[in-house]
Amino acid sequence: MPQMGESIAEGTIVRWIKKVGDSVDRDEPLFEISTDKVDAEIPSPAAGVLMAIAVKEGETVPVNSVVATIGSAGEASEARETGETRETTSPSARPATSGNGAKHSAQADGTPGATVAAPAPPSTTNASPASPASPASPASPASDDRHKSSPLVRKIAKEHNVDIAQIQGSGIGGRVTKQDILGFIEKPSDSRSFDSRSARPASEPLAQDGPHSVRPGAGATVTPMSVMRKKIAEHMVLSKRTSAHVYSVFEVNYSKVDQIRKAKKDDYERSGAKLTYTSFIAKVIVDCLRRHKTINASIDGDNVVYHNEINLGIAVALENGLIVPVVKAAGEKNTLGLSRAIQDVADRARAKKLNPEEVHGGTFTITNPGNFGAQFGLPIINQPQVAILGVGTIEKRAVVIDDAIGIRTMGYLTLAYDHRLVDGAVADQFMADVKKGIEDFDPSQV
Amino acid sequence: MANEYDVVVIGAGTGGYVAAIRAAQLGLTVAVVEKQKTLGGTCLIWGCIPTKALLEHAHALKVAQSAKEWGLTGIDGAAVSIDMAAVHARKDKMIAGLTGGIEMLFKKNKIDWIKGAARLAGGLNVEVTLADGGKQALAAKKEIIVATGSTPRSVPGIDVDRKKIIFSDEAIHLPSVPKSIAIMGSGAVGVEFASIFKSYGSDVTVIELLPRLVPGEDEAVSAELERVFKKKGIKVLTGSKVTAAKAGAKGVDIEVQGADPSTGSGQGQKAQKLSYDLLLVATGRGPVTEGLGADQLGITMERGYVVVDAMFKTSVPGISAIGDVITMGGPHYQLAHVSSMEGIILAERIAGHAVQPINYDHVPRCTYTEPEIGSVGLTEAQAKAQGHEVRVGSFPFRALARARMAGEVDGFVKIVAEKKYDEILGVHIIGPRATELVAEAVMALRMEVTVEELSKTIHAHPTMSEAVGEAAHAAHGAAIHM
Repeated sequence: MPQMGESIAEGTIVRWIKKVGDSVDRDEPLFEISTDKVDAEIPSPAAGVLMAIAVKEGETVPVNSVVATIGSAGEASEARETGETRETTSPSARPATSGNGAKHSAQADGTPGATVAAPAPPSTTNASPASPASPASPASPASDDRHKSSPLVRKIAKEHNVDIAQIQGSGIGGRVTKQDILGFIEKPSDSRSFDSRSARPASEPLAQDGPHSVRPGAGATVTPMSVMRKKIAEHMVLSKRTSAHVYSVFEVNYSKVDQIRKAKKDDYERSGAKLTYTSFIAKVIVDCLRRHKTINASIDGDNVVYHNEINLGIAVALENGLIVPVVKAAGEKNTLGLSRAIQDVADRARAKKLNPEEVHGGTFTITNPGNFGAQFGLPIINQPQVAILGVGTIEKRAVVIDDAIGIRTMGYLTLAYDHRLVDGAVADQFMADVKKGIEDFDPSQV
Repeated sequence: MANEYDVVVIGAGTGGYVAAIRAAQLGLTVAVVEKQKTLGGTCLIWGCIPTKALLEHAHALKVAQSAKEWGLTGIDGAAVSIDMAAVHARKDKMIAGLTGGIEMLFKKNKIDWIKGAARLAGGLNVEVTLADGGKQALAAKKEIIVATGSTPRSVPGIDVDRKKIIFSDEAIHLPSVPKSIAIMGSGAVGVEFASIFKSYGSDVTVIELLPRLVPGEDEAVSAELERVFKKKGIKVLTGSKVTAAKAGAKGVDIEVQGADPSTGSGQGQKAQKLSYDLLLVATGRGPVTEGLGADQLGITMERGYVVVDAMFKTSVPGISAIGDVITMGGPHYQLAHVSSMEGIILAERIAGHAVQPINYDHVPRCTYTEPEIGSVGLTEAQAKAQGHEVRVGSFPFRALARARMAGEVDGFVKIVAEKKYDEILGVHIIGPRATELVAEAVMALRMEVTVEELSKTIHAHPTMSEAVGEAAHAAHGAAIHM
């Protein structure tokens, strides 16, 4: 089980792409895993024949556990002839992963208040004692391999959120052709999706049997939760239990932003970026976080960590869940850079091409319930951060301006903040600053 | 004792000779059986190449005839005519050079040319009846390739005497320009000869059973060709059928049912009796399998064609077939470049390479009329019939500087695409250099280029190829120069 990130302790095998006896090329997808951070397809570290599978679909094991054995083709036929399955590692057979299966925990050092599974800042995370010499996992889920395809295939892939790397190309040199990708898309999603719910038994029920136990009525279907769903449930409850949530809602006039957006949108498009309201909000948030250090902070036991870096989490809704990729060093980016970075992580989140490093280390999060028309939302803080901004729908409203009624582009912004650290005055000063930043947005910043 | 080779190829046309060279390049020993006096088959001896020679003469004639417009002095355009003896002498010299070139390539690749007629003798054996009447036995160690090609075919009721009622085989070396000629069939062969003979000064009538010229092409191409043909004075009788043809001493009397020959329109007219010096039958080509012995071996045939799979295997192991003689269960392009690619892929398969089947949707179709036609992929009607949400972009050569300088402004480039993924489904070009311009379109289809990618590809100025880029722009809204 490859280590998908410093703070990830275990992973669940969602699906074996290869069966015992199948030959596999180096870097060919071998199995799919789900961890509490990302879901990924794991490429084979070596070419050969899959000789034995040690961890079945649906099982969760610590990182660095041996999950399968790959041998040479000769060994495979020998093994088949004798009916023997080799568990051990022979000289020419290489285990799919190295390591001794030692489990290491993401638990922060001696910090009873800190969370187990939430993303911990690097300073408080245990180094991996079991494998100090092998810090890198043997198989990175998002390799930089360029996969042969065509403009048409890339366009179809984008439309259907398909990772071309998952598709076996039938063209010359393995090029993925239109037929290949259309065939892939038409396959029942269960056979390729990370979220093969029906195939996997719930390893541990989330809620114990108790007063809230559900008695399914007639016609109800019962399916085990996906790994991602369970993790979301855990994180949400944990965050509610951890932080003292308070909310502050501001109404913001976007008219100026709207004007700038209309004027500059095409320029951005020409340089391959989308100028959205989120671009402006992100820019203002980053500028304000620089001035309001308390909002860009974490509680670490009895200490407060004021982060120097501004790493902006962007909540992205997926088909079967939610993920919060992080735009690292957002404070160093201009509006164009932020627009690009947000679009990039969001696109890759939907395509399941995120690196594990890209979903933790956030210091502040923006979520966008307004996308679906909500006036405003009351979001839950993404631990171990202390605040999250909810962006309500942006629309034209009648507003009073100097004793007259005018039509302006308006929207609500909600700040959910952790009152353990952030007091109302601090939060509202921050939000007033954000409101001003948006309403008086400097056009030269775009 | 039979002479053994890895591969025995029957037929040295563009399918057979290319397969032989590719197989030899990959280290196989190869014999080719060919009964004609030269290598090259239909393409070089009676087809593509001789007609292109006649076409180039037509082009030279056209320039000389319009000497005044081009500012050429010392030439009386009105007095210029063509000397067919000189035309044939030049053409035959060129062709001798090309067929001789294939012989050179055979020597270079150590391919043995067995001069005679081949018969499949069972298993991997081939019996050759040599030119002098003797027999020679050949045996293939790996595979036999049947590449016997096709020959012109008439329709029931029309007897070709090869003197007054002729095939393209005769049309390429007529000793003189006919005063009048009727051409049955408006596929590539029919319209090419129509174009050539009109240039040479003949009175030309094209008779097509279907409602439009070049019925395999996009309807817009057919319409444009008909417009230009009529402008040149070629009579076009579409939706018309030749019901009888009788060769006499002076010419051919034919009966045409359908359109009114004086106006070229009016369906359902009574049969018209018409007379011409010659009638060229260009209604299609049929497979050549006579004497091959394919039936006796139990090779599956369909309408006389050899049935093969996507890897060119016949129903009998060890015997494969390519080119005009094959069918894969439906109509198969009878084109030189298709047979050559089939030969290459088959040779590579026999040599043990991993090969991909041919995508027959990506075959370029070239018709050397004036203006030329080059097309690939689906027509607009086919694309719609397949259920695509179709987007079309066209650009006329008239709007192109290069075309104006050349004085060749007829025609257009038309791109047929679909809206969902912006895929290019077909490209249809009629106009100057269309047969060259189609190459870009073929590559675009093979590499699955979107219309947007094509529109963002820089096309050099001033060239005819700009029309391709402009048509892509047109498909996405608006061409720049329109």
